Amino acid sequence: MARSLLLSTAIAFAFFVVLVRLGELMLLDHQELSAKAASQYRREDHIEAGRGKIYDRRGRELAVSLDARSLYCDPAQVVSPRKVAMELSRAIDMGYPQVAARLAPDGKRHFVWIKRKLTEEQSDALKGIKLGPGLGFVDEPKRYYPEGALASQVLGYLNMDNQAQDGVEKEYAGTLTNKGGKVVVERDATGKILSQGVQLESKGDNIVLTIDDGLQYIAETALDEAMQKWKAKSASVIMMDPYTGGILAMASRPSYNPNDPGASPAGSRRDRAIMDVYEPGSVFKIVMGSAALEDGVVTPQTVFDCHGGRYTVGGRTFHDVEKNGLLTFEQIIQKSSNVGSIQVALKLGADRYYKYAKLFGFGHKTGVDLPSESGGYARKPHTDVALASMAIGYGVSVTPLQIVRAYSAVANGGYLVYPHVVSRITAPDGQVISSFNEQSKRVLRPETAAILKNIFSMVTQKGGTAEEAAVNGNAVCGKTGTARLFDPRTGRYSDKYASTFVGFVPARDPKIAMIVVFKAAKGAIYGGVVAGPVFSSIAEKAFAYLNVPRDDADQSNMVYLGKDEHGAVYTP
Amino acid sequence: MNPEPGFSFHDGSGKPDRMLIILTAALVLFGALMIYSSTSVVTSAMVKRHATTSLFYFKRHVMTIILALAAGVAAYKTRPRLLGRLSPFLLVISMGLLLLVFTRFGISAGGARRWLRVWPSTFQPSELVKLAMVIFLAWYLSRDFFEPDRLWKVLLPVGVMVVFQAVFLKQPDFGGTLTLGFITISMLFLAGARLRYLGGLLTCVLPAVFYLAHKPYRWRRIISFLNPWADARGEGFQLVQSLIAFGRGGLGGVGLGKSMQKLSFLPEMHTDFIFSIIGEELGFFAAGLVVVAFCALFLRSVRIANKMSEKYHYLLAWGIALMIALQAFINFCVVTGLMPTKGLPLPFISYGGSSLIVNLMAMGILLRLSKGEPPKAAPDRLKELLEKKKARRSVYGAGFGR
Repeated sequence: MARSLLLSTAIAFAFFVVLVRLGELMLLDHQELSAKAASQYRREDHIEAGRGKIYDRRGRELAVSLDARSLYCDPAQVVSPRKVAMELSRAIDMGYPQVAARLAPDGKRHFVWIKRKLTEEQSDALKGIKLGPGLGFVDEPKRYYPEGALASQVLGYLNMDNQAQDGVEKEYAGTLTNKGGKVVVERDATGKILSQGVQLESKGDNIVLTIDDGLQYIAETALDEAMQKWKAKSASVIMMDPYTGGILAMASRPSYNPNDPGASPAGSRRDRAIMDVYEPGSVFKIVMGSAALEDGVVTPQTVFDCHGGRYTVGGRTFHDVEKNGLLTFEQIIQKSSNVGSIQVALKLGADRYYKYAKLFGFGHKTGVDLPSESGGYARKPHTDVALASMAIGYGVSVTPLQIVRAYSAVANGGYLVYPHVVSRITAPDGQVISSFNEQSKRVLRPETAAILKNIFSMVTQKGGTAEEAAVNGNAVCGKTGTARLFDPRTGRYSDKYASTFVGFVPARDPKIAMIVVFKAAKGAIYGGVVAGPVFSSIAEKAFAYLNVPRDDADQSNMVYLGKDEHGAVYTP
Repeated sequence: MNPEPGFSFHDGSGKPDRMLIILTAALVLFGALMIYSSTSVVTSAMVKRHATTSLFYFKRHVMTIILALAAGVAAYKTRPRLLGRLSPFLLVISMGLLLLVFTRFGISAGGARRWLRVWPSTFQPSELVKLAMVIFLAWYLSRDFFEPDRLWKVLLPVGVMVVFQAVFLKQPDFGGTLTLGFITISMLFLAGARLRYLGGLLTCVLPAVFYLAHKPYRWRRIISFLNPWADARGEGFQLVQSLIAFGRGGLGGVGLGKSMQKLSFLPEMHTDFIFSIIGEELGFFAAGLVVVAFCALFLRSVRIANKMSEKYHYLLAWGIALMIALQAFINFCVVTGLMPTKGLPLPFISYGGSSLIVNLMAMGILLRLSKGEPPKAAPDRLKELLEKKKARRSVYGAGFGR
């Protein structure tokens, strides 16, 4: 009895010890162990909410999300990794050593990507293979850009982890994903997603751009042709609705394909139209012209002596391309006389001159809804030399977007518009959530704008600097600019030039404001020669595309069918 | 000590112990529920074992319960004395089955060879060995031949134990080795073996343990139990996941079916580590209740044993009580990190047919004993049929152990 009692007591006590241990683990260590548990379920892996689509202004898809499958493995569970690696490397076009390395167990990792975002062919090829244990798929949305490289810098792209880089994708990442980006999910030990339904409930909103797919195509094709011809280092074109500031097309070269961003160098992803600042040269004379006319310092017919193309201010001599004697104010702009412009600017004085530079928004970001915009540099000139330089577009740095915005103000009768690329945001069900609040600010009197418009139209007529920018049948208002490029490495001006043409068409009722910039073009330097023809080529095709009637057409038998909000005439 | 009302320990006509039935049934049913819960989410590890539906394990377990009930009833119907006389043969048969594991009929899993292929499932002979050993010890230690003061007579069952343990270690099955050792020593102790013999035996255990731990991977396993967090992704993985399961459970648990740990974190969630899932899903109270239930079952069995007048019956009941309690205790210790051994199911609750069948058979025997002992002088037809030996006189008689 004694032994029985002793043994049964000992074992009962042993059970009591277990109870105490349970109490320790489950009550005392509860917090600590729960935290450890949570940390192992919440893996660093994120899954993206269904990203919204990006449409052009006419509802054509520019960016969509496709379901792509990604292949992963748990190396510890893979049976006969060599054989599996052989089969996989054949199916997914990956080197055998790479696949084998990922399948090799290291005793630590239980979740290794083999290949993410398989193409459809690779997926199909994998269907033919019997995947053993330890291999599995995760559905990951893959961003696809149906138009390829078209508007790539505006759209941006997503990296492998579906994080938005550049462009609308980045600027509107919160809208497109609806939850500010990512959803953290719980996963089990093999990486299987446990929180179901996350993808369904969080669908991103869609974005409708002001970009017109057709105009974008026209602009990019023309740009490509010109790049071949001029072998320039870089080039940009912006096509904008002068009344709303909605950007119709925007492209830069070099470019890249957002479906495969890794294939191009980083520089090709740069949206040069809004990020690259440069000294604009003569196109900046719009500031001088507006200021002089608006403040009544000159009339279009005021005559200036251009001293045969040489003029010295504060010990520095400025030259003209053409040697002119007496020129009227409008001729100064038409022929782009530096000497004449400097005299007008000096007559205005730094204060009044700078007031207009500021009014046009130079030196500040335009606020376009794209990331990484540059504001440029424009300060009040404190010396006559600085003022003279600024009058002819040196000593300031601007982006192409800032210039086209200034010319839009002339085109639309004196209002400064706010450039933008997104016209509205719609919910997945199509309901409009918000649209761009079109604002504008008067900077010029309509009379001044009308006079300037007239002067700019002379630029493309006989005797102007850009006869080659003229569009058959439609009067073009514009201005050329040719400026030496400053080389930041040597700290001097190089022998390379920035060739610009900026303007708007048709002159009577402008539909399009456009800037074309080439940098370091080979074979020609002048804006009227390099950029002008590109401008007119784009404008001509754009008119055909938009059905803009020719100025010289007989409109008496035309049937008016209505216009869309941007003035394009529709045919049935 | 007088028998309780309703019980008669003077003949075999009493009723089986109701408490024992209730406790066992409760544990078995609870086990079925938890097996369903822990395997209801199909994990990749399960798919690897061809368990592709959420009911795969549950269905099989229900079949096992039916089979085990039949085995238990059969054991209940068998006269304990007959079992005792058959026990040497039982032992030989189970040894044969145990060795069969190493032939082509055996199946290895998780680095151990413990199973026999028996269509449509598998059988683990080491479970049978435990029961056979209990019956054999009860039989041997109650014989006149056994003298607790003679060393070699005490060492004889120890020798049998060591032979079995050697085979267990070959599989390897440390849990089984440990249980067998505990049972044998405890029963020798109860049978009155000299304490000095037992003490000497225990001192022999230490060098044996050291010899076995000599192999590096076993040593790592022991080390990992002392500090599982040091190698939480390697050797300590299972234990760490088990501890996390308990910790997550807290006072009230995360809710039935809501275990996260069963989702591939705990590989043996329905077998050896089912108690961790119980702790996680149902919390401290439920887990504690399971421990208390096993303790109650043990104490009830001991109580039944103490009412036995015949030494054989006394030792048999005690042995069964020990067998269940020690397995449960070792399993509790393993999953809570108090002991290093692995590979031992929780009786009645864990998935695993052999364990359930053998344990229910043991409970059948115990229930039979709880009915009371038939008078030893009563005519025993089977006994007459089987052998001609004269009926043995019980040395201990009715007064034994009182």
